[in-house]
Amino acid sequence: MLVTGFFAFLLTSMIVCLALEEKLHAKKSVIVGGFAVVCLLIGGALDLLPFHEMVIHVGEESILLPVYIPAIDWGVVAIILGSSLFVDATSKSGLFTWIAIKLTKASRGDPLLLLICYGIMTVVFSAVLNNVTAMIIVGSLTAVSLKRLGVEDKLLGFLLIEGLLTNVGGLLTLISSVPNIIIGNAAGISFMTFFMRAAPYVLVTTAATLALGAKIFGIRRLATATEVEEAARHVAGFDENDGIESAFAFWFGATMLAAFIATIAAASIPDTLLNDLGMGYVALSFAIIMLIRHKSTADRFYQAVDWDLLAFFAALFIVINVMEHALVLDAIGRLLRPVLEMGEPSGPIALLVSSAIASSVTDNIPLAAMLAKILTGAGIASDSPYWWSVVFGANLGGNLTPIGSASTLVAVTIIHKNGLTLSFVSFVRAALPFALGQLALASIYLWWVS
Amino acid sequence: MTKIDQYESAFRSADKAVYTYQRIEPAKILVVSDFDGEAANRFFESVRSFLSVLDDVRPTFSHLDGDAFETVGELLEAVELRQPDLIVTYRHLHSEAWHWPYSLGQHLDVLTQATPIPVLVLPHPDDDQSLPQSLLNTDRVMAITDHLAGDDVLVNWALRFTESDGTCWLTHIESGPGLERILDAVSKIAEIDSEQANTLIPAQLLKEPADYIRGCRNLIESEEIRVKIEEIVTVGHRLSEYRRLVEEHQIDLLVMHTMDGDQFAMRGSAYPLAVELRQIPLLML
Repeated sequence: MLVTGFFAFLLTSMIVCLALEEKLHAKKSVIVGGFAVVCLLIGGALDLLPFHEMVIHVGEESILLPVYIPAIDWGVVAIILGSSLFVDATSKSGLFTWIAIKLTKASRGDPLLLLICYGIMTVVFSAVLNNVTAMIIVGSLTAVSLKRLGVEDKLLGFLLIEGLLTNVGGLLTLISSVPNIIIGNAAGISFMTFFMRAAPYVLVTTAATLALGAKIFGIRRLATATEVEEAARHVAGFDENDGIESAFAFWFGATMLAAFIATIAAASIPDTLLNDLGMGYVALSFAIIMLIRHKSTADRFYQAVDWDLLAFFAALFIVINVMEHALVLDAIGRLLRPVLEMGEPSGPIALLVSSAIASSVTDNIPLAAMLAKILTGAGIASDSPYWWSVVFGANLGGNLTPIGSASTLVAVTIIHKNGLTLSFVSFVRAALPFALGQLALASIYLWWVS
Repeated sequence: MTKIDQYESAFRSADKAVYTYQRIEPAKILVVSDFDGEAANRFFESVRSFLSVLDDVRPTFSHLDGDAFETVGELLEAVELRQPDLIVTYRHLHSEAWHWPYSLGQHLDVLTQATPIPVLVLPHPDDDQSLPQSLLNTDRVMAITDHLAGDDVLVNWALRFTESDGTCWLTHIESGPGLERILDAVSKIAEIDSEQANTLIPAQLLKEPADYIRGCRNLIESEEIRVKIEEIVTVGHRLSEYRRLVEEHQIDLLVMHTMDGDQFAMRGSAYPLAVELRQIPLLML
């Protein structure tokens, strides 16, 4: 009991340090890496770690694995590394900037149509790429295009809505966000099942967020014919082909992206070779194909990988593994038991709200990883709404505060970069109606699917 | 946050200056000379003949001869009174200083800066050094600048003075010495990749005017204006480059800006160009 309490204290300290990441001026990987080193050392000293079980027998040969190697979920690491390399290499084709500029021109510079186009683009990019990349692409374009249209006063509203929509779009597919990957892997939810379950919610919530955003920030259609003509002239200056190196590179990138999504979906079909190899294999394979296309400059893509994120994951899985052996997860599971015993729909809704609150002040990845272990340990079935409570809560909780998710943090960074002020409290005040609305819709949805 | 910069740069690069065509219609043209009597009339007629490209709008020509003004103040008063859309004159009015190619003369110096009216500066009528094609026609016109992207006014004036089926050169010369200074500074900054900067900065500086000229050409073709657009976008020493280009392409008229915001002095390289390129007509905006 004392040992479990001590490790629970270490876990809480790590979560607090992650929440104070900016104040500590330390990267996530360094914080969690430090805790992983301490946890392994103390866990080993207290004889909590199963050193004797870390042997793999290959034929007549026995390979001794360090205790922390099997602790890491290499499938998740492979998906993140592969997707990150693939998306970065694909973006060099100019495909994403082409789509973004095409949509800008389609809106003819009308603020309301622009908001709808950018909102949909944010959701789709968040679903296909990752939330941070989506926010960077759409946020950068928003800053440039609103300045071009002379409506910089709407920039704050646009960026805030887009930031909030990244976390909605991040719900759409199994690979859209890291909590989805963790929960999907743990629960055994296939790519297609995930998409079919999440799509109706994402559709309704996107529409509701855009409608509320337009009302709150006074984003309306242009009134006079002169304004319409002038706005159309301004956006006509954008050249969607500017970033395209060659037609071949563009079509290759577009084809590979479509093939990537189709193959990831196919990998979720049970009893197939791709299913056995896993989504990590698919992501890494597509990354390699794209890198072959850029073979002479492949090292630049390696430099662009978010090694902090990957090291953070590896260290986090190690910490969670030690916590499991120290029975901390069992203890948290016991605390959650009343919630799980509440039955449906109250239980899933309570878990949704509590995970959203937890995710709003700290990283949603350790939360998802920890809850995934706990729900697996509790024998929760893969079609249970409890898994979806964690998915919705971990993603949408990020909309409650600017530090709740990496993509809202990027949105705030772009806001500040453009000379606008938005404090922590101002963000919470502005985002609260949206976040509460999205959580209310998620609760209704959970109640409905229950 | 490097990626935010990357994408912002990509979108800023995609945001091109859009050319808007507007037909220039100078209704009142004032011809200023320091001649009197018959000599003034001869000069006036040669100007009318040279500007036959404007005949379709039937502009009103008037003249201000040598006996109508002496001082700069008197010239400015007369211009103020007549409110022309275009002034045609030459360097060193009421002066013999045109023999020495070191200035524009006090009248033109002030006139080009004190009024917003474009001034067409012709070679001095007594100067035998003018190029052979000077004052014959305007079927080969060149607009010159060091910042072409978005300069619709310059392009529209150059286009207006180019005769039907003639050629209009849109020219952007990036200052070679200026660029070298920047690249030299970049080469001393450890945080910036000098090799990349040496390639990318000049390429980007030349890409913007080249894109703009492409946009101009497309619009001019769609408006069915019978003028051939030629592009010259390069890095070099401006004055010597312009001198070379004028001779190489047998240019009839150079179009350039001289006003620079609210400043009193003539802009950047305009003054040395106006002083030294004396053998052909210059339209100074």
